[in-house]
Amino acid sequence: MHKELSSFAARLCGAIQARDAALRRPVSAARGPCQDLEFDSFALELFALQFQHNTAYRKICEARNNTPETIEHWTQIPAVPTAAFKELELTCWAPPERTVIFHSSGTTEQKPSRHFHNAESLAVYAASLWPWFEQNVLSDLRFTIYDLRLLCLTPPPEQARHSSLVQMFETVRQKLGAPETAFVGQIASDGSWTLDFDALLAALNSSRVTRHPSLLLGTAFSFVHLLDYLAENNLRVHLPPGSCVMETGGYKNRSRSMPKAELHALISERLGVPGENIICEYGMNELSSQAYAVTSDKWQVARDAVSSCHLSPVTCHFHFPPWTRVQIVSPETGREVADGETGLIRVYDLANVFSVMAVQTEDLGVRRENGFELMGRARMAELRGCSLMSAQIANRKL
Amino acid sequence: MNLPNYFLVDLPREATLSPVMLAEACQTLKRNRERYLAGRSTERIVNVLSDVAEAWLRPDNTFRKLALELGPAETGFSIPTLKRGLDDFFRQITRDNLHALLVQELGAPRRLDAMTATDLEQKTSRAAVAMGPEFLVHIAAGNIPNPAFMGIVLGLLVRSAQFVKCANGSAFLPRLFAHSLYEADSKLGACLELAQWRGGNTDLENVLFAEADCITATGSDETLASIRSRLPARTRFLGYGHRVSFGFVAKEVLSHSGGPRIASRVTDDVVAWNQLGCLSPHVIYVQPGGEVSPERFAELLADELERREQTEPRGELPAPHAATIATRRGIYEVRAAHSPETLMWHSKESTAWTVIFEADARFQTSCLNRFVYVKPVKDLTELLQNAEVVRGKVSTVGVAAPEHQAEELALPLARWGVTRVCPLGQMQNPPLTWRHDGRPALGDLVTWTDLEKGF
Repeated sequence: MHKELSSFAARLCGAIQARDAALRRPVSAARGPCQDLEFDSFALELFALQFQHNTAYRKICEARNNTPETIEHWTQIPAVPTAAFKELELTCWAPPERTVIFHSSGTTEQKPSRHFHNAESLAVYAASLWPWFEQNVLSDLRFTIYDLRLLCLTPPPEQARHSSLVQMFETVRQKLGAPETAFVGQIASDGSWTLDFDALLAALNSSRVTRHPSLLLGTAFSFVHLLDYLAENNLRVHLPPGSCVMETGGYKNRSRSMPKAELHALISERLGVPGENIICEYGMNELSSQAYAVTSDKWQVARDAVSSCHLSPVTCHFHFPPWTRVQIVSPETGREVADGETGLIRVYDLANVFSVMAVQTEDLGVRRENGFELMGRARMAELRGCSLMSAQIANRKL
Repeated sequence: MNLPNYFLVDLPREATLSPVMLAEACQTLKRNRERYLAGRSTERIVNVLSDVAEAWLRPDNTFRKLALELGPAETGFSIPTLKRGLDDFFRQITRDNLHALLVQELGAPRRLDAMTATDLEQKTSRAAVAMGPEFLVHIAAGNIPNPAFMGIVLGLLVRSAQFVKCANGSAFLPRLFAHSLYEADSKLGACLELAQWRGGNTDLENVLFAEADCITATGSDETLASIRSRLPARTRFLGYGHRVSFGFVAKEVLSHSGGPRIASRVTDDVVAWNQLGCLSPHVIYVQPGGEVSPERFAELLADELERREQTEPRGELPAPHAATIATRRGIYEVRAAHSPETLMWHSKESTAWTVIFEADARFQTSCLNRFVYVKPVKDLTELLQNAEVVRGKVSTVGVAAPEHQAEELALPLARWGVTRVCPLGQMQNPPLTWRHDGRPALGDLVTWTDLEKGF
């Protein structure tokens, strides 16, 4: 039924892998490998397939009078708001094929966002994730990845089957060949994520003793939990040189929130990981690719901070991989803003083969050359109203 | 803005307020009140207030001109929106209206001046005098200037020394009003202080809280709870929490000619202060069965909002607010594509206005800035069932219905918890005698002394 989509996915993965070497070039040079023409051709093909196979998406396109016949360039492809993932089944998979569901992690939401997957789409997910992760998180490491001690500050996959973040960390763990004990988080009785501090401290200390650098992956709030714990117990861990931290996401009221500059300064202070080895990630349940803040920007910030003798705001210029495109669009006009202006982040992610490629996020960003700076999220109350995913409406309208 | 340095809010932006400065300001205010205000007659205060208000209505008035010239940049409101909002407020401040307010609240116009008796009190050989708090503090929310304006007016009537703490960045219009009072009567102006800082600055706020005899506060329920918890037990606290409002249109008035007229009145309510006041409607409930259906009414409202955008534009919004509207529109667009039970109309190439029709009648909080819902309900009972989620939080219900029916609706609405019922088109323009959140305007401020005669 989805032969064309499967064929597309295989070609996309091939294109990503074939250009893996090119991807290893410095980020500033990595405009490609999906140059505009190639991206456009992939995007238009995928749009036509999703229009055909994703019923919920097709209805949105038709309401806007957009069809594969009217779309001439990837920039015209209709983007779907992330909130639509809560109400619609935005997928090309038939119900029996949906073996994995990623849910958004907001704790206060009544309806989670849902991104349907199975082995085939997860293979595309992994194919997109790994080379960009490797280039952005591992490229600067002055050691082989085999020496690396991985620590994921989330529950393990069997406890968080619906978390795309945990899936991401699990993919990384498997690629690195790290043991399953790399996951040092757990689910508390109220469903919230906590840390197994004993296991975490033991792992950090062992890393210190064996001189094997650590790679810590976690959400900003899990790092706050860790830092608070270290502060309460008056502990400092000086991780070996080359250790690295990747932090992602907001706080979602799961811990006290703090400015990035303060978070990074505390990570440096308590864990001995210098600012240039702290990488920010931007990703979401609705996408299959991730953006990372480019290290060179952070070097600049670190130098500024030293010269001005106080903490400068950490400026993270995020970049998605070349098989995606990002637009920062004016909330007023829907058109792309000029460099330096603020707008809503819109992502065209070719790796979203079996759902929807064009995703309109609720996040605000400032357009910066080829990347963007993350500003926060548009205030979005839960909107009452019929859930369009309910069977009655699905049967009646779709 | 080149204004004399009368108030703390006139200090350069980089100036930092200290607890010592505030403590000194409080002492000065109390001293000035004793000298200049405590002994004034109500009549003289009424005269100053009504003269100042009348001056604000004149096109050549300095403060009005400043408000309109700098207001769009300072407040985000367009000039026509500012004009209408200011005119609506200052038109209310007349001698007659102030007189009516005093009589409504205190039974007699000279109740604050001397032992006074109403007819009934005379018959029972009684008299009474009412006195305001010596030192009154207002903690004003930032959305619209009316609460700060009204607080100052009421505080002057009861002869209180007043400190108005504005939300950060929202002092522009209250500051102009304070200056206009100072210019009209410097001694009266010397009993008033204005400052702004980001709420939650406990060092500054504790000074005020320790000095105040009475505190009024508008803001979120969390803000009010936080203030209340930090007050000494003796301090009177008047909190005005978050409220929402909605409209109701009865089928009888939805004729082919009546529909557009009512849509125009709803538009008045939606564009007034860009819908940011607690009295502005989030939802307009429309009864089906008239010549104009609820869906058609939503369309008429959209037409009218578009027309009004030409004469009374909403003005620019900061990106996060515009993003909230764009994001919300996004989800309704998706719903509309999948179900005829959702319809959307909106301004093109801007977030200036949005109308959402939803068959689902449950109350929905709007993101405001001219974003309004139209929902069908068959009658008041169904309406109230669907508004249950905001019960106890509803300020105003604007009604368009035949007169007898509108009056009949008022009692069930009151019993349900609504504190104000008014004609659509007047929602954001209450009379001076309005009882804010159902509480007496002056009555909550004063303390009475009763005299029982027959010694």
